[in-house]
Amino acid sequence: MTGFRAFLGKEVQEIVRTWRIWVLPGIVLFFAVTGPVLARFTPQLLQAVAPETGLVVQIPDPTFRDAYLQWTKNLEQVVMFAVIIIGAGAVSAERRSGTAVLVLTKPLTRTAFIVAKCLSQGVLLAGTVAVGAAITWALTYAVFGEAPLVPLAQATGVWLVGALMILGIMVFLSSSVSSQAGAAGLGLGAFVLLSIATIWPPAGRYSPAGLLGAASGVVSGRAVPLWPVITGLALAGIAVAASLWTFSRKEL
Amino acid sequence: MTPAIELRTLTKLYGPLRALDRVSLAVPSGSVFGFLGPNGAGKTTTLRILTGLARPTSGSASVLGHDVATATNDVRAAVGYLPDVPGFYPWMTGRELLRFAGRLFGLSGSTLSSRVDALLDLAGLAGVTTRVGGYSRGMKQRLGVAQALINAPSVLLLDEPTSALDPIGRKSVLDMIASLAGRTTVFFSTHILSDVERVCDTVAILHRGVVVAQAPIGELKARYAMQKIAVEVTAGADELAQDLADAPWVASVERPSDQRLVVAVTDPSAAQRAIPAAVANRGVGLRRLETVEVSLEDVFVDLVR
Repeated sequence: MTGFRAFLGKEVQEIVRTWRIWVLPGIVLFFAVTGPVLARFTPQLLQAVAPETGLVVQIPDPTFRDAYLQWTKNLEQVVMFAVIIIGAGAVSAERRSGTAVLVLTKPLTRTAFIVAKCLSQGVLLAGTVAVGAAITWALTYAVFGEAPLVPLAQATGVWLVGALMILGIMVFLSSSVSSQAGAAGLGLGAFVLLSIATIWPPAGRYSPAGLLGAASGVVSGRAVPLWPVITGLALAGIAVAASLWTFSRKEL
Repeated sequence: MTPAIELRTLTKLYGPLRALDRVSLAVPSGSVFGFLGPNGAGKTTTLRILTGLARPTSGSASVLGHDVATATNDVRAAVGYLPDVPGFYPWMTGRELLRFAGRLFGLSGSTLSSRVDALLDLAGLAGVTTRVGGYSRGMKQRLGVAQALINAPSVLLLDEPTSALDPIGRKSVLDMIASLAGRTTVFFSTHILSDVERVCDTVAILHRGVVVAQAPIGELKARYAMQKIAVEVTAGADELAQDLADAPWVASVERPSDQRLVVAVTDPSAAQRAIPAAVANRGVGLRRLETVEVSLEDVFVDLVR
């Protein structure tokens, strides 16, 4: 793994010094800050609109669970799409810009290149979501006076496993397809297929597809889906191994 | 002595296209080797195989005695490479990029700092603090040469290193390449013949994926270039050209200016006797009769035409 530390250092600096520091952390922190507040005031907002539409709205008083659901819904939709788009450029962007040639003709193995990419992106994702969850918990407590830690931690953890799986798939696609847009398109396609697969109950119970939407289920009181977590982690590992295999055979 | 670079019947196919066709050549250690060819001849493909970026369809390539297909980081640590269009991280400064490149080779501390300073100086980028994203094409090319030298390589592979440079930048890069002769093996692809004539001791000419010639420059000129004789007369150059065109030792007759002929000959001694006689027969004065020095361009054009 010669050159690994130097390349990993470059990856970290690249996150800090470019647009990357604003995109994923920016989106996650925005939702973390606004989620509990929106959950608290959604009934008032709807009632303010209702007289104009003539509708009579009866909404129960919001609880901490609504704030947590705001958080998980945002993670499952907008943040997951951001993971897909960002992951699509992980390898293909370096190939297109010629920087992969610059570093891979030096004592940096292709394995080290992929592992550094996965590690930096994975740590950024995990760190950002951990901070976002902490902010959500603190603001939920401040707004509702009640914020149990376990359901939020479990839901965020389950989502993170799904996101790491999607990230692994995206690194594989980014290693295989030369265009970032192409990899992103295939990634969105894979995401849609996994979502459709959950219609079949056994796929939702046992396969990685069960991770999609599982975080909101956990907040609503369902148990952590153990099999999807196990198979999801396995799929993430397989996707990274496939990336290494594909990229080591790729002509640059 | 093992050649620094050796290609053995190297073939590369891209679908039906034969980019390299059984290319064999040997680059002596310490030489500055010009790898010449028109655009699309297969020069970049050869360099991509030598750097492990592409794989040969058949045949083999070795650098410093190691097959590039199985080369370890130890071999890469001894090689510097400048691609034809170097890519950089636009958010880095030139200094940061060189430090990063050095760290990939395991350099650190004062060794790295002193090399970075020296190479920034060599590249004319010592005082530049802007990010690489704001560099001109010439600045990027010079930075590319600098990063290829950060590990003080035993073998330096340069793909069209002067193509994006202005005359001053070109001169400094060529001077730098010339200064490495004897210490570093430089394998230098280009289609700019004057650059090769200026710094290379040995050349190979690649045409449509085939090496059509490989030799020291002087030997190549002697072996392949047709002797040319310039003739300048006081009058009647057109008639003289017609007289000479039919001679069996004449390959071609050019008319570069009013009373001047350039005669390509297959038998120089016969030409030296017959041309003054032909001028005398026409009854015109002979102003000049001289052998034209053969350039690499003449050889190149003859071989790839």
